[in-house]
Amino acid sequence: MASMTRCDDLEPLLEAIADGSHALAVEDAAHVASCGVCAARLERARAIDSLLQVREVPAPPASFTAAVMRQIGREQWRAERAIDLGFNLAIAAGVAVIVAGAAGLAWSLGFLNITIDLDALRQALDTEATGRMLSQVQTIAMSAVLLTMALVLWWWAEAASD
Amino acid sequence: MKATSEHELVQRCRQGDEVAFRELVDQYKGLVFALIARSISNRERAEELSQDVFLKIHKGLPYFRGESRLSTWIYRIVINVLSQERRGLATVSLDQTGDDNRPRHEPGSEDRSFGDLVMKDRLQKAIERLPVPYQVLVNGHYLKGMRYEELAEALNMPMGTVKTHLHRAKRRLRLLLETELR
Repeated sequence: MASMTRCDDLEPLLEAIADGSHALAVEDAAHVASCGVCAARLERARAIDSLLQVREVPAPPASFTAAVMRQIGREQWRAERAIDLGFNLAIAAGVAVIVAGAAGLAWSLGFLNITIDLDALRQALDTEATGRMLSQVQTIAMSAVLLTMALVLWWWAEAASD
Repeated sequence: MKATSEHELVQRCRQGDEVAFRELVDQYKGLVFALIARSISNRERAEELSQDVFLKIHKGLPYFRGESRLSTWIYRIVINVLSQERRGLATVSLDQTGDDNRPRHEPGSEDRSFGDLVMKDRLQKAIERLPVPYQVLVNGHYLKGMRYEELAEALNMPMGTVKTHLHRAKRRLRLLLETELR
């Protein structure tokens, strides 16, 4: 019974004994010499320690750095492509709205002769003049908002590419 | 690496200097790859994960504030990548040895194969079954160029307890070899 207690007491110390960071007391050394269980455990602990010390150090392939740089290049290209796509879409939307706004303005000023009857709509507004004004204000405001968005996107794309 | 040159290297990388980042990769690839390849026996996967570590470093450098050493920060990324690879096991605390209720096999004289190739293979398998922090400790401790304090910092453990944790990790390895991997 007393011997098992000594085995249990020694067991958590075996790794420290095996790598030399804990010195084996005289009575513990005597116990290990006479106890097959502790001797085998200590032998294993020492074997593990020696094997860990001589384990091979895996080396990366010679092309490792180049592969990492290629991957980074690919990632950057993908990110730039997404920015470019967003920028181009914003520009396209801005141009479309400007064209639509210019067409609306020309139409409201009478330069475009569109035969669509919008009288009913115009009558819904208080006066003809107010209707014209309102339609122009909305179009111009929309154009301005979209253009601002396009400019902000352009600025962001430029900042990100720097 | 001296703090000033490390700081300069980080600054150059942040400015988008590709040569500087190449230098950084060259400097750390050995340790990063060795740490990962010692934890994962599939070499191709180890290579992929090591590359992943450097991609994360590249992405994260603008946010690296230099509060810890660059090496510590890199080892933390390695630990995270290994933990993601082995999700679930990574959450085991270092204080949890997990072996107290395990039926013990008392080694007898019949198993005398220690030190041979079979033992090396079994040891590798046992290391792969360790929780990631123990794995990193065992794999990193025996690597040239890896410093105790960097390892301790990366694993968030007080410097004074590294040795204790290392002994616990090795004890866990021994118990694994004595029981499940016999």
